[in-house]
Amino acid sequence: MVNRKTAKFLSFRYTILAIILVVLAGGLVLLPKYEKHEGIKTEELLSNAVSPERYISTDELANKIISQDPSFLLIDVRSEVEFSKYSLPNAINIPLKKLLDEDSIMYLNQNQYDVVLLSNDNFYADQAWIIGNRLNYKNLKVLKGGINNWYKTIINPPIPTENMAAKEFDLYTFRKSASMFFGVVYPEQIKVTKKTEVKKVIPKKVIPIKKKKKMPVEGGC
Amino acid sequence: MKELEKTKRISIASVLFILVILIGLLTYKRPMHMYTINSKTTLENITSDNYLISLKDLENKEYALIDTRNEFEFQKGHLDNAINIYAPEILNEENTLIFNKLQEENKTIVLYSTNPNNVVAPFMVLYQLGVKNLKIATINNSYNQNKLITDNIDVEKSVADINAFINESIKKAAQQPKPKPIIKAPPKKVIPIKKKKKMPVEGGC
Repeated sequence: MVNRKTAKFLSFRYTILAIILVVLAGGLVLLPKYEKHEGIKTEELLSNAVSPERYISTDELANKIISQDPSFLLIDVRSEVEFSKYSLPNAINIPLKKLLDEDSIMYLNQNQYDVVLLSNDNFYADQAWIIGNRLNYKNLKVLKGGINNWYKTIINPPIPTENMAAKEFDLYTFRKSASMFFGVVYPEQIKVTKKTEVKKVIPKKVIPIKKKKKMPVEGGC
Repeated sequence: MKELEKTKRISIASVLFILVILIGLLTYKRPMHMYTINSKTTLENITSDNYLISLKDLENKEYALIDTRNEFEFQKGHLDNAINIYAPEILNEENTLIFNKLQEENKTIVLYSTNPNNVVAPFMVLYQLGVKNLKIATINNSYNQNKLITDNIDVEKSVADINAFINESIKKAAQQPKPKPIIKAPPKKVIPIKKKKKMPVEGGC
């Protein structure tokens, strides 16, 4: 008899325990605020956002493309229309609106490649970077100045005036050769090739002349 | 008797467990600044809202202008009625109070800096913290002889049509050699030279 009573009492306790634990679990579900608070701490996001570490200059990027550096991805966050007009070679187009779509996230959320975000100017690329940084994506960079700066420095580099340092001239020769790589044609290029063509004149035909051998005079002189 | 001991242990353990959880909840410090919208919502809002204000619209005095450059630049020259809050310091306590006060007054907060690119960072952080009525002024500040010059600027406008530029350069380069006619040198004729045969010396040697 005593055993039965204790058995009943025991089961009662267990049910109370179970109810308390279920209520606690339910309480955890009611924390939608923490869902919105996803990502790194606000102070960290701010310090990352104001630091200029994320920028890569147009010269560096041109160097990477020309030397066929395989370790980076170019992501263009402009609209499809602008992307189809002109973009850098091998750039992937992810319009800013679709940055967090399922198929786009895999380009951002990986550790193998460095991702360089670019747009016409810094503005949209920076926004994309900040959103990615909040979600703690590593290896994100931004092209400083965007395509506008690409045009001003690489495609159409400014010719240094005579009173600038030699460094500027070296930079200019680099940028000019980079622009040739990306499709710009300079008049001097064509001239040179044509000249060599002119040199290829009809080969002189050399007609071998057989000299008549003079027979030695025999007999008396 | 053994069963009773078991239940005692279990009940003690469970009470302790609940106590630990309660203490954890009570002593949990909420971070001072918490995001109020998640990343996806931020992205949607950023790409659909119009948060840009041009220089003309700034004439409206209802806006609370905030200069996010550093103190030195601010002293050099700033827009009228602008407050200076350096961008990396927007989460400081005193600045948080300023923002809260502006929120209560329901004023539109307009951020500006040297150019719109520099404002993106503080704008995005404040936006995600839930500051309402936040805008960016699309202005470019420069100095000429220590005087502040403010121009309106178009954000993300393409400066040049690069494809057209490249095609033009190809055209230009192809055009140039045409006016010079290539004079082909006449093929050089090789004239066999007949050497005069030396006549054998006749007569006496």
